[in-house]
Amino acid sequence: MTPRPWLHGFLDLCLLAMLRERPDYGYGLAQRLAAAGVADVPGGTLYPALLRLEQQGLASPSWAPSEAGPRRKYYEITPAGRAALDAQAAEWRGFRDGVDSLIGEHVR
Amino acid sequence: MNDWPLRFEAELVRLGVQPQRARQLSVETAAQAGEHAADPDGFFGPAHLYARHLVAELRAPLPDTRCPTGRVMLRLTGVGKRFRRRTVLTGVDLTVRGGEVAAIVGANGCGKSTLLRICAGLTTPTSGTVHRTRRVGFVPQDGGTAGWLTADEHFTLFGVAAGMTPRKARSTGTHLASLLAWRPGRTQPVQELSGGTRQKLNLILGELHGPDLLLLDEPYQGFDQGAYLDFWRQVRSWRDAGRAVVVVTHLLHELQHVDHVLDLGAAA
Amino acid sequence: MTAFVVAGLSAREVSRRRAALLLMITLPLWFYLARRDLTGQSTRMLTLGMAWAVSTVTLFVVNAARGVDPRLRLTGASVPGIFGGRLLAMSGFGLLLTAIYLTLVTLDQDFLRPWAVGVMMLVTALVAAPFGSLIGALLPRELEGALALFSVCAVQMLADPAGTVAKFLPFWSSREIGSYAVDGGGADVLWRGLAHAALVWLLCTGLTLAVFARRLRVARYPEPES
Repeated sequence: MTPRPWLHGFLDLCLLAMLRERPDYGYGLAQRLAAAGVADVPGGTLYPALLRLEQQGLASPSWAPSEAGPRRKYYEITPAGRAALDAQAAEWRGFRDGVDSLIGEHVR
Repeated sequence: MNDWPLRFEAELVRLGVQPQRARQLSVETAAQAGEHAADPDGFFGPAHLYARHLVAELRAPLPDTRCPTGRVMLRLTGVGKRFRRRTVLTGVDLTVRGGEVAAIVGANGCGKSTLLRICAGLTTPTSGTVHRTRRVGFVPQDGGTAGWLTADEHFTLFGVAAGMTPRKARSTGTHLASLLAWRPGRTQPVQELSGGTRQKLNLILGELHGPDLLLLDEPYQGFDQGAYLDFWRQVRSWRDAGRAVVVVTHLLHELQHVDHVLDLGAAA
Repeated sequence: MTAFVVAGLSAREVSRRRAALLLMITLPLWFYLARRDLTGQSTRMLTLGMAWAVSTVTLFVVNAARGVDPRLRLTGASVPGIFGGRLLAMSGFGLLLTAIYLTLVTLDQDFLRPWAVGVMMLVTALVAAPFGSLIGALLPRELEGALALFSVCAVQMLADPAGTVAKFLPFWSSREIGSYAVDGGGADVLWRGLAHAALVWLLCTGLTLAVFARRLRVARYPEPES
């Protein structure tokens, strides 16, 4: 699993990307992150990040009842969120390619 | 463990979150733990620590809000200081612009505090020239407060000295305190505060009048971990707002946050 | 504006030091009670006790503000604003002491000119405030300052009032005005006392201002050009 410091810079990016696919709530997003093999994100990291996206207007919340247990807070990506996602995705690709090229030189 | 949401809410309020918003966050946080079929204490850890963490996370500035660096706020050219026979500083050059943070580092007794006092204008240099913007805030290493006055009274005193009305000074002070996760007591004289809290007051008094240049002499002494992080976040937000900051420090791992490092070297 | 806020806060500051304040307010009373049978002497002792009380409290206030003063200057306050405020508050304290003790002695003793007793007390209290601030400006610690004030007041009590030494002491005026009030001296004695008090007040105020202006001077640096 990815060490936390790496994820820290890209958690917002991952969350926005998942929300673009479909609106989701905290637990669902945690499951998807783990399933994708990105990280097992602790709740103390995930939920503040979601609240921050909400505060910055990148995701908008809505409450929905669940079959079992308490109602859930679903997040949906906003147009501003899409714009931020595009910008951050480009940044990520640049970063990834840079790291790849460095690893390529030395490891192979 | 059922009082976790209550303690969490109380701590949020203490940290300066609006009561209504604190209630809302507390309810949501309990529900989030519920999603994972966990109790909040096990899932998020102790209530007061998670409250601190959440407040800090939500206060994090938006990415890339930094303005391009602005006009020169402080320029030292060949500044030297001699006390009788003892030379403390020689040929110090430093230029700090708005939107920049400069750190003054060096061994104990190498003249860091003297240099900062020269920047403030409280000590006159023996040689060299100083150009400085007029609106300056100075935070000395210790002292700088009156033991028998309350925090509110300090706000009034310093605000009025800067030409603010007492009411404006108090509300500004209270707001700045909340940024450092501190809610000053109404009747507690400063000498009854802990060392770290007194330093928070010290820091607030330096920036109460919204100076363009902040001169800080190791202002985080006695801060706990949370307050220490709040402090550096505050430094970054001043910088992002286009102010210039000069901070005397001996903590080298903080130098990643600064734009200039002035190393005064070994003791004179 | 600064002066009034400083005055108000200085008053609050002092009022919080309950024990010290209570000792200072009651001190003149012990001086008085020691020789209550002698109208003139007891009243003079009382007045010198007031002088010590007011000057010592002023000293406390001045010393307590040492850390704050340079920062207030940097923030924009003027030296006369800062010092004037403290002087105002401490003169107010002197006025309060005068009111208390004038009431006491006029009920307890018969005076030739009771109003002049009030003048003696008030003038002494008003002189004591800048004198205490001058000592506070020169001696950095409370204990040293309080001992210096104690020495001055003790010498003032013991010195021969007709001698030259007494005339150079700060509270000689209280002795002179006292003679007019209690022993029936002429008006010239009163005026001499008032003139001495005015001179001492001006001297102490001027010197304190000079010391503070030097200590709290802030260099005026030119604005940098970008």
